[in-house]
Amino acid sequence: MWVNSKRLTEDVRRWRAEGWVTPQGEAYILDDLARRGSGLNLASSLGILASVLLGFAVMSFVAAHWQEMSRLVRLSLLVTLIWAGYVTAGAFASRGKQMFADAAILFSVAAFGASIMLISQMFHIDGNPPDAILAWWLGAFLSGVVLRSNPALAFAMVLVAVWTGMKTGDSGHVHWPFLAAWAAITAAFVWHKWQPGTHISAIALAGFVISLGYTLETAAPHLIVAGIGLAAALAAVAVLRLHIGFDAIAAPALGYAIGVLFAALFALQFIENTTTLQLLIYAAATLALLLAAIGYGLSYDHRGALWLGYLGFSVEVLALYWKTVGTILDTSLFFLVAGLIVAGLAFLAWRLAHRFDGSSAHEQGTRA
Amino acid sequence: MSITTGKYWALLAGVAALQTGFLGKMAYDRVSLIAHGREITLNVIPVDPRDVFRGEYVVLGYDISQLKSGIGAAAPLDSLDRGQTIYATLQQGADGVWAGKGLSLTYPTGIGANEVVLKGLVRNRFVSAGGRDETVSVRYGIESYFVPEGTGRALEESVRDKKIEAIVAVGADGTAALKGLIIGGERHVDPPLL
Repeated sequence: MWVNSKRLTEDVRRWRAEGWVTPQGEAYILDDLARRGSGLNLASSLGILASVLLGFAVMSFVAAHWQEMSRLVRLSLLVTLIWAGYVTAGAFASRGKQMFADAAILFSVAAFGASIMLISQMFHIDGNPPDAILAWWLGAFLSGVVLRSNPALAFAMVLVAVWTGMKTGDSGHVHWPFLAAWAAITAAFVWHKWQPGTHISAIALAGFVISLGYTLETAAPHLIVAGIGLAAALAAVAVLRLHIGFDAIAAPALGYAIGVLFAALFALQFIENTTTLQLLIYAAATLALLLAAIGYGLSYDHRGALWLGYLGFSVEVLALYWKTVGTILDTSLFFLVAGLIVAGLAFLAWRLAHRFDGSSAHEQGTRA
Repeated sequence: MSITTGKYWALLAGVAALQTGFLGKMAYDRVSLIAHGREITLNVIPVDPRDVFRGEYVVLGYDISQLKSGIGAAAPLDSLDRGQTIYATLQQGADGVWAGKGLSLTYPTGIGANEVVLKGLVRNRFVSAGGRDETVSVRYGIESYFVPEGTGRALEESVRDKKIEAIVAVGADGTAALKGLIIGGERHVDPPLL
């Protein structure tokens, strides 16, 4: 859980003063907060950072190819490092310093990967680099699940992305096993109830879906991706508007779905070859959808949709400018037309914002 | 924390043991392949890039890295896909040189005494302008020879005018392991594990 302990302390004081919390209750909550001591503070962030740096040190150690030691000594040294990390983790955990324990576990996971690299190097193994990454992410996943260590799981997700990228690069085909790996790590995040983990999962999945636009061997793969993005966005809106629960998942999911949709539409307009008519249709659809996202963000106070809408709008207009300049329109004419369109849209957005502001204020009024 | 300290230590030890076991198995498989696999020598052509993860190494190319359509293939070459596993049958000629003889999608049967099978992955397929000649480029996992940092180029220089061969151990399933190099008739094999 991510708790702002300073704010909670102030709130508890106020609640006690207002009579909502008994003095014993206040004492208990403050005591519990102090004992937990595992919020994301500077010390634990530095701990994770130090662990990452030490992990890199181990890896460059491998890259330096230490000739002076026999191969068995080198191997034993790396195994010792793995165990040392876990022993350190145990020592921190038994003192209740879970964040430092997680940092130590992350170090061991890095040392495990470095050991795989070293053994490959020692024996000139060069068979299939993605297999090495596969073994590494499985090791990271094992640590993450068994030791309930979220940073190790997050690292496993990064390795799964690298693994998928390498596999796709080697074969040129979609690497479907990504979905199984993704589901396993996501299930672990959900089981641990780790909020940042669900975002990591969403980013990984969105990236995979966007990549399908380039790897699917069907007609118009980007259109399929756009369809997935649109369907996901509509589903997220439906879940949020029908108030059937799962808002905690649907709200961020809407943002990622908009991202996928925009990425696919962007590829259709500016990466694929299009006719002028196609470009016009896609551009109009993109602008309309971005405006819808902005409108939704304003009316239902969804900051992600709002800012993604604004960002996408800026990118879209700029990209349209680069694509059309000197081709279908004269530069000055483009500026004139674009200026008029954007001004018109701005006015429309302003009108929408005001209407929605009124209605959402009204809605809040009735709700309260 | 919901788990007791004692249990946590046990879980830590379990994870560490599993990861250590995996590394041990990885090393053991290689040591045993190198010790017991059938030894063959292949002619090589070195080049020199760098792998950020694994220090410096020399890339070795082989005659059998490029299989041409003339080879006795059990499947047509144009049915092969990138990343697909194939088995290359090698035959030792009268001059002692091992050359590609056949290509199949499964481990071939009826291997002669002067033949050996290597498992490989298809990297690419090229078709010549006429469309008549097809070449499949294959990786066998014996393409990188790791050398101490800073000596890769020197090694490449020193072997420029010499004949260079690779000593390869081949396992019963076709897995190949690079054992060492023969440079100008001089045998360089890595010291054993201990």
